[in-house]
Amino acid sequence: MLFRFGSAILLAVAISLVGIGLEKESLKLKRQVSRQHYQLEVLINAHAKMKLATQQAGSPGQVLNSIERGELDVKSNRRPASTNRREMPLLQWHLNRSSKPDK
Amino acid sequence: MHSENSKVQISWRTWSLIILVVLSWIVISGRLIFLQYIGHRQFASVVARQQVCKEKIPARPGDILDRNGRLLATTIVTNSLYMVPQELKNQKNVSEVCTVLSINQEYFQDRLKKNQDKLFLWVKRRLTDDELAGVRSLNLPDKAWGFRQEYRRKYPQGALAAHALGLRDIDGKGQGGIEEAFDHLISGQNGHRFLVRDAHGRVIEVRNDAREAARNGETLVVTLDSIIQLYTERELESILEKWRPKSACAIVMDAKTCEVLALASVPTFNLNHPEKISETAWKNTAIASIYEPGSTLKPFLVAAALERGLLKTEEQFDCERGEYQMGKRLLHDHHSYGMLSVTDILVKSSNIGMAKIGERLTNAGLYEAVTAFGFGQKTGIQLPGELTGIVRPLEKWNIYSTGSIPMGQEIAVTPIQLITAHVALANQGKLLNPRLIRDQIDHNYYPRSHEEPEQVRPLVSTPVISEEVADWLVRVPMVETVGRGTGRKAQLEGYTVFGKTGTAQKPDPQTGRYSSQLHVSSFICGAPAHDPRVLVLVVVNEPSVGPNHYGGTIAGPPAAEILNKTLMYLRVPFDKSGQKPLRQMTDRPRNALR
Repeated sequence: MLFRFGSAILLAVAISLVGIGLEKESLKLKRQVSRQHYQLEVLINAHAKMKLATQQAGSPGQVLNSIERGELDVKSNRRPASTNRREMPLLQWHLNRSSKPDK
Repeated sequence: MHSENSKVQISWRTWSLIILVVLSWIVISGRLIFLQYIGHRQFASVVARQQVCKEKIPARPGDILDRNGRLLATTIVTNSLYMVPQELKNQKNVSEVCTVLSINQEYFQDRLKKNQDKLFLWVKRRLTDDELAGVRSLNLPDKAWGFRQEYRRKYPQGALAAHALGLRDIDGKGQGGIEEAFDHLISGQNGHRFLVRDAHGRVIEVRNDAREAARNGETLVVTLDSIIQLYTERELESILEKWRPKSACAIVMDAKTCEVLALASVPTFNLNHPEKISETAWKNTAIASIYEPGSTLKPFLVAAALERGLLKTEEQFDCERGEYQMGKRLLHDHHSYGMLSVTDILVKSSNIGMAKIGERLTNAGLYEAVTAFGFGQKTGIQLPGELTGIVRPLEKWNIYSTGSIPMGQEIAVTPIQLITAHVALANQGKLLNPRLIRDQIDHNYYPRSHEEPEQVRPLVSTPVISEEVADWLVRVPMVETVGRGTGRKAQLEGYTVFGKTGTAQKPDPQTGRYSSQLHVSSFICGAPAHDPRVLVLVVVNEPSVGPNHYGGTIAGPPAAEILNKTLMYLRVPFDKSGQKPLRQMTDRPRNALR
């Protein structure tokens, strides 16, 4: 009788402990997901700020002013340098409709 | 006897007590039943309202890119400072914050006094990095001061394409330009989540079961090219400096696709400093101003007359030595001309020659011509505030109209209408719809689907005149206008330029009559003539200095400069050698416009 009672108590305690452990693990994972979401937000914001800074630094106005002040050693052509279509692959990154990754 | 009486007395008291206790229990039970069952829903909702609050998850507005992927508008996260007036203990902090944020201290104290019972008061929204560092260094107490993150719109190119882009106000709503026209796409869709708070208002749980994620705004790729836009704006600035006009605008268009490569208007403003925008600078004169086009309208009417077989290219007209009586009205030319060919009427911009062509077309033909080229109706440029221009109903036209319309008077157009109509001439007589949006992609710059998005308008081509008529007009009279006519100052080395000048008198606001001092000077040009790639329109409103205000003098050179730089930038080869032969024009039956 005592053995049965002790076993039942132990089983109930063991189930509770496992439940608590699982709950803790679940909370830990939730915290990790939240932290990663937050880190992703931080990275997106940092990316936006850096993109803004690079675009400001390389804006056509800035570059043209530098050329006019003689800071850049660039000579303008008197006739079209080439008849090929002008491409700016770095700026057009992701922009091409056909560049969508296959899923 | 005595014992019996005392028994009755005890029993009465006992019963009273029992009844009182029972009644109390009934009242308490009733109240409990009311709270637990009858009023349960109401009280539960009150508790939920007090404990659970809905928090908005703001969507990040999408970017705007130029046709090559240069960033024109983007969004970054900034901090806004708020305070809790009820918790404010130290007045010294207020003066320190005002100093760091350059806020008028008296004004802020006044605001503080009015809101001293409140739990929330904005101090300054969207702080700059320097301001944020300054406030952080003050080590303000957490209870009374705090930051909230908000999105801030930034325009890395500054004032570039300000009128075309528009801006977003303090509440993130698009105002003017693309920002307003496509606000529903760029803004995205805010999400929300529910927070559970304790009695002190502290968040104890974030409930994810009823959470709705924010949907970030779409990124739009516009047809503008930052480099061409910059060239255009610099030329407009030099016009402003040299001729001191009231306003000026310029549009550069791709002649094949009717895509707007540049659209600029001065006075302009810096998009990053909306607080400094004046009312005059806010107006986008390229789409929201109307003026009488003057001689720039003449090619369309000649085209209509040729198309209907009412005119032959080799015909000569007597221009009456500069004076022509038309009904009760005496028409004048700038110079005294005798016999002029159709080409010379356009090259020398003879009003009398055009009036005689107008007589052949009659009012009905003139009306049909101007409406066929899109005047009097919106072009559908996808920008807010576009005007339709003014083309009066045909019933209101009279004998004066027959002389005035061919001179570009009695009709008001917008610059965007005029260049769109000229693109039809340059594009073999096909009227196209101007386009400003090139693509719509997601916030990671990936296309949402392989199909063209809805915002990218399909190219609608409406034939207005035949290819031969359009080809002849562009390659003969309009090329000669630049070669030996009123547009000589727009000649370019290497490219065959075609163009048309316009000098329209404006009505004097005091007398109501045409003024000899107030003009709108304009010039439209394009190149290469045998296969037009680019068209440029420059309109200068009321130039105030200089000996004359002719379109060829004021608007011609800057338009040619923009055209030259654009063609060189687009690597269009020189065309002065190796042009295509001119199409032969066949005799046309007298018919209506296409």
